[in-house]
Amino acid sequence: MVTTLTERYIAATVGNIPPASRDDVQAELEVSIADAIEARTTQGEPHETAEKAVLTGLGDPVALAAGYSDRPLHLIGPRYYLLWWRLLKLLWAIVPAVAMGGVALSGALDGTSAGGIIGSSIAAGITAALQVAFWVTLVLAILERTTGVGALPAWSVERLPEIRTKGAGRADMISSVIFLVLGVGALLWDRFRGFVVHEGDAISLLSPNLWPWWISGLIVLMAAQAAVVIAVHVVGRWNETFAMINTVIALAFATPAMALLATGELFNSEFVALILTNNGVDANSLRNLAIVTGAGLIGFPVWSIIDGWFKTVRDIRHRKSGIIN
Amino acid sequence: MNENNVVGTHLQEVRRGTIVLAALQLLRHAGYGYGLLEALAQRGFATDANTLYPLLRRLEKQGYLTSEWNTEEPRPRKFYQTSADGIRLAETLTKEWLALSEAIASLTAAPFTPENH
Repeated sequence: MVTTLTERYIAATVGNIPPASRDDVQAELEVSIADAIEARTTQGEPHETAEKAVLTGLGDPVALAAGYSDRPLHLIGPRYYLLWWRLLKLLWAIVPAVAMGGVALSGALDGTSAGGIIGSSIAAGITAALQVAFWVTLVLAILERTTGVGALPAWSVERLPEIRTKGAGRADMISSVIFLVLGVGALLWDRFRGFVVHEGDAISLLSPNLWPWWISGLIVLMAAQAAVVIAVHVVGRWNETFAMINTVIALAFATPAMALLATGELFNSEFVALILTNNGVDANSLRNLAIVTGAGLIGFPVWSIIDGWFKTVRDIRHRKSGIIN
Repeated sequence: MNENNVVGTHLQEVRRGTIVLAALQLLRHAGYGYGLLEALAQRGFATDANTLYPLLRRLEKQGYLTSEWNTEEPRPRKFYQTSADGIRLAETLTKEWLALSEAIASLTAAPFTPENH
């Protein structure tokens, strides 16, 4: 059986229409096309060219079907476009970096070569970026097709973002997160691969007795610190809550670290013996080194606490002056 | 995009919406798809078939048109007719159009200049 162009056109159209209205649309479209062709053939046009002209005028059958079933002819329309773009930017700033850090870390622990680590983490970063783009787009394209008008809360002036203050920008967030990921990597490397290898044995800098609980606690604190940094970036400014959490994290780090240093449990005694004592560093110098280390262990958290509160006070002042102006 | 295209886009913007009004007015007397397309073209509302046919169904779904299959003729056709709601909508749209038309006429009659402001 030879099918006509009209039959093919109608089949292509109604195939893209919900079954409920398919028969009705088909019957109506058949007669509308027949009417239009007839109007041309009565003017003396051959049937074949008349049919072609009429179907060409109707255009792509899939577009016509979209018109019949009120389907959008775009993937993500103006209603969701901005949400899509904001989500994409936020996740792109976080997910690929985390994936790259994770892959680099596991590569380092497996003993992969530096080139192999770089290659696999770049591949992981690209894959993560593509995955983020795909899933965000898929979810919003589905929302575009399933939710009615007014599914999103209306925009209001209250939603205007604060002017992003210094210390809450994207670069601050990314550098802090990368620094923390490297820190965790250094901890794991020290434990499992060792920065110092003596006669084929890896000798860790930190005491092996700190595993697993002390080090796990430290990693939890670092994750919490990363969460604060990301939250500051999302909110766009420091506030009292962030400064308070930041203070708690810093104290939770400094207090046990000082206690462990004082009791000599922080560093690996084997490491101290091998690197320092065997090279002629006497007890007096060792004590001085411990004091310097202790100053660092206190100085860093104190700096972090002051920095957090300083930025908080500055941002609150900034906000108040903004309201007065 | 060349100049003709830009002008064409602006014209399309002005014409958008007039098809609904014209169809509601013409369908006070029942009519079918292709017949309405011809009637619109004759009265100066050139419309694409692929715009009109889905539009008729949308207006029917919104309750502004009613429809009925007429199977008495050799070629059975779906006839649409403007409902009571549709007539009210047509009146509202016509009023709006006339108000706009007057407003536009006043623009050319008394152009806005710093002197007469």
